[in-house]
Parts: sequence; C-alpha cells; structure tokens
Amino acid sequence: MKQKYITLSTISAIVALFVAAGFMPLLLPEYNLNMLTEIIIFALFAVSYNLLLGYGGLLSFGHAMFFGVGAYMTAVAIIHIPGLSMWNAVLIAIGATIIAGAVIGALLLRTKGAYFALLTLAFNALFYAIATKWTSITGGDDGLGFDRPDLVLGFTTVSMATITNFFYLTLIVIGVVILFCWYFTHTAMGKTVLLMRENEDRMKMLGYNTNISRLILFIFTGAVAGIAGSFYTLHFRFVSLSAIDSMGVGAAVLLITFVGGIKTFWGPIAGAFVYIILQNYLSTITDRWPLFIGLIFVLMVLFIPGGLSEVIMNIYQRFFGRKDRNEGASVAAEEVKS
Amino acid sequence: MSEIPVFFLHGLAYAGLLFLVSAGLTLVFGMMNVLNFAHAAMYMLGAYFSYAIIMQLSGQFWMSLMLCPVLLFIIGALIERFLLRRVYKFGHLQELLLTFGLAFIIAELVKWYWGNYPLAVNIGTILTDTVPIFGIIYPVYRIVIMIAAVLVGTAMALILYKTRLGIILRAAVNDSGMASILGVNVPLVFMGVFGFGAALSGFAGVIAGPLLSTYPGMADAILIDAFVVIVVGGFGSLGGAVIASLLIGELQSFGVLLFPKLSMALMYLLMAAVLIIKPSGLFGEEQ
Repeated sequence: MKQKYITLSTISAIVALFVAAGFMPLLLPEYNLNMLTEIIIFALFAVSYNLLLGYGGLLSFGHAMFFGVGAYMTAVAIIHIPGLSMWNAVLIAIGATIIAGAVIGALLLRTKGAYFALLTLAFNALFYAIATKWTSITGGDDGLGFDRPDLVLGFTTVSMATITNFFYLTLIVIGVVILFCWYFTHTAMGKTVLLMRENEDRMKMLGYNTNISRLILFIFTGAVAGIAGSFYTLHFRFVSLSAIDSMGVGAAVLLITFVGGIKTFWGPIAGAFVYIILQNYLSTITDRWPLFIGLIFVLMVLFIPGGLSEVIMNIYQRFFGRKDRNEGASVAAEEVKS
Repeated sequence: MSEIPVFFLHGLAYAGLLFLVSAGLTLVFGMMNVLNFAHAAMYMLGAYFSYAIIMQLSGQFWMSLMLCPVLLFIIGALIERFLLRRVYKFGHLQELLLTFGLAFIIAELVKWYWGNYPLAVNIGTILTDTVPIFGIIYPVYRIVIMIAAVLVGTAMALILYKTRLGIILRAAVNDSGMASILGVNVPLVFMGVFGFGAALSGFAGVIAGPLLSTYPGMADAILIDAFVVIVVGGFGSLGGAVIASLLIGELQSFGVLLFPKLSMALMYLLMAAVLIIKPSGLFGEEQ
C-alpha cells in the first residue's frame, strides 16, 4: 500500500516554519541571527549524516571530510578565481565533494559496520593531513579568510555583506536542500536504502545491487554535506582545520544527529538547535566543552538511545492520547513497512 | 649509506609500539566484536599514570611498567562491567558511540588534571644509553621496546593457543551461548578480555611516554596508525597485527627518508591498496 506522505498538514507545517524563520531577522538581534544561520547549516549537515546513519545504518566517522572539502573548496575557489560568483563557488565545492565521495565510496563500498566506521575515520585523517600540510593552498593552521561575494541573480545583484541577506539566502537554499533530502527518503532509491539496512541479503536475492546503492547513498550524502560545508565557510568568511577534523565537526555532527534521534527525519534538525545553543551557552561559562560532549554521548547512549525525537514522541502520545499513525514506532521503521 | 640500518631499527621500534597498541585493540575486536575508540585514550592514560608514578611519586620506571597495566586493567574492567555491558543489547552503533564518548571524557580529564602541554618523563640513564649494533650506535631504549613487543606478542599467542584459558576465551567468542551452557562464565570472560586490552594499551603508553613525550595529543597521534594496522592486518588477527605493524612501522620510517613530502600519505596508499585487493585485510576472515 502506497502511503501518501505529502499531506496538507505537512505542507502547512513546512510553510509555517519557513514564514516564521523569515520573520526572525526582524525579531532577533544580530548575535542570535548568526546563531540561527549556523543552526540551519548544521541542520542540513546532520540531515545528510542521518541519511547515512539512521536510514542507511552506516556509521561514518568521516563525514567531516565532505564538509571540509566543501568548505575548503569554496574558500580556495573564491580566493584564487577573481570575480567568482557565489553560485559557482558552491557548485565547485559540490563537484569536489562528489569526486571525493565517488573515489572513497568506491574503495569502501564492500565494507560495513565497524570496518566501515574505522575506514571512514582513516580517510578523514588523510584529508585532515592534507589540509594541515598543504599550507600554500589551505593555509595550514592559520586557515583561510576571504570576503563573501555578492549574489548575482541575473537581473540584479544582492549584497551579501550583511547577515540578514545571507540568512535569507541560507534559509532558502538550505531549506530547499533539506526538503529535497526529505523527498529523497520517499523515492524508490530512499526505500532501497532502508530495506538494505533491514535485510541486505534479501535485497540481493531480489536482484538489487546493494553495493551500487550504497555508493550512490554515500556520494549523495557527501555532496549534501559539502553544501553545508560550503555555506559554513561563506557564513564565517573563514575556514580552518576544525572544519575537516573528525574530532571537530565530525564529532559535532554525530552528536547532533544522535541527540536529535536517528529514527526520524526531523530529529537531527531538532538536535542542531539544541547542540548549537548549548555549545554557545556552555562555551561562555566553561572551556571544558569536550568533557560535556563526552558526557552527553555516554549518558545518551545509556539512557536515551532514541534521542530527543523519541522523548518528544513519547510525551506527545502521553498527552494527546491519539495513537500516532505508526504507533510511536520510528518513522524510519514505518517506511519499511509501507 | 649508514643511515639505512638506523632507519630500519627506528621502523622496528615504532612497529613494536604499534603492535603493543593494536594488539589490545584487535584482541578486543576479535573477541568481543567491539571496536574500542577509547583504546588510544587508555594508552594515553597509561603514559600519564606512569608520569605520575615516576615524576610525582618519585617511583621507578619498572614500577610504573608493572603498576600501570594493573590500574588500566581495573579501569577497563569497570568500563566493561558498568557501561559497555548495558549497551550490548542496543547493538554495535551504541557500543562505538559509548567508547567514542569515553575517549572524549578521558582526554579532557587528562588535560584538566595534568595540563595541556607536553610533560617530560625522566627514566634515568636507560633512555640515553646506547649500544653498538650492526656497526652503528643505537639507543638501548628502542631495543627494549622491540624486545617488549616480541615478549608480549609471544605470551599472547601462547596463552590464546596453548592454554586452557585460551580455549575458554576462544570458545566464549565462537559460540558464547554454548560456552555458557558448558559452564563458562561468559560475562566474566568479556570483562577480563576488555580489561586485558586496556592493560595492554596502558603498557604501551608507559613505554611510549618517555620516547614520544607525554602530551594530550598522543592518543590521536597513534589512534589512526593503530586503526590502519588492524585494517591492513585484518580484524581480530594477532598475526595480521604483527605483519601490519612491521609494514606500517618501516613504511613510516623509510617514508621520511625517501619521500619526505609524501610520507604521511604512504600509509593510506598501503591501506587503499589492501582494501582493493583484499577488503578483509591481509589475514582477516571474509566478512
């Protein structure tokens, strides 16, 4: 039975969210608007990561390399190609992450589980080493700074020097990409990914080439992470080694996704809100931030393995009584049944 | 070309250290199917405990070499008993995440207590003594590392394949349900194996401390190398860890001599080559 996923309530929720976000520049001070932009960027990063982890069942410790390649390529392209438009910088970054994803994915496509996790970490370390050593291009420990180029729309040029304009651009572009990811989970390819996680042998028996599907998923999620990385660089007008570090943004995206919950599509987006706000708050009162990261990891794993989305869904059911369509089971699990 | 023996011996010494670190990692993975991300953090803990025993409590080097593995064994066993055991039922993802979080906590606590800078461990003349070998003068300490690695490797192989304890261990791994029916206390075995893995990493840390200096980044510095060793050697294979440690150790050493700019990439190239030819590693079983 084919389930309708575009219902009136979902569309209205999405539109409401966009409109509400659209009013934020009028309500929020500049500091919080910067934070919100960061949240949106990390939400996309976490959504792409969750496609791999929650939907595909593949734990990667190397998602930071795609984020980092996107971030560095954007900065390098803007610095070395004078007069490059913002679109082209982002496109160059996406192209580079697709190439990186294809090469690494081709090497990894036969591996799974802990093996896959470890190899992605090793490849991430390779990229990190390149970023550290190739100082003439990447700036090494100093990083790269640049000016954000203006947005050329053909008929007009919009200055991107202010955070308000950049916030709107981020909201629209990244919002559309997140929606596309959501659409992806409902395509035949998205279903294949889910079924592969549930029972790969059966998928093979049914004639699916699971290695190719895994490769496509790897490249797709890598490219989406590259977009997030590209916007991250454009937002901060600066890129440094932490953007490609598996213990930096790599650990961050893992924690965001995990805190939000890997069983729902929107969980990681909620996770991004919690994480960025918590990080901004905690880093003002303590410089032992990594200790809290570790503690949150351990406590989450031990006590709330389903993440925030599970907690929210449980509360929702307790107070609103109405049994959810999927009876509180994970959305991802529901997809498998349909 | 008098530097070739020097670089060869340097490679062997690093291989010895790599083996000591990766042996515990591959043992825990092979036995319990848990990839311990906190392994390198425990190695660092071993080095810092050794620093505390030698420099702060004015103990002897051999004392820390005896004591630190015991301390790490206790810590490892406690982690297994009270944290890891609770998450086996959730699956591998949660196990990985738990050890990942523990690695963060240990690294941060170390920085908190001992400070975020390198510490020098003075272990007396054994560090500076040299000995003539192959017509060159070579530091004794690096030779001690090689001997320690050989001894530990031999002892592990003997225990695993020649003793009753080894049979129990292998049985608990192969079919934990059947082993438990036959009267083997499987949870206790797992606790012991995890503790032993931690003890090995602590031992490696004590040895590495004086050589590579004791600093908060030392865990990250060896973690990736140890991971590459067990990927190249094959997961859970002790023999594979020996061969891969030698390969990586020599590659690192001669890489610096022959291709100074490319040296860090060589290891990854080797790993990529092994992955293409035999994805399960040189001595690993097919997945």
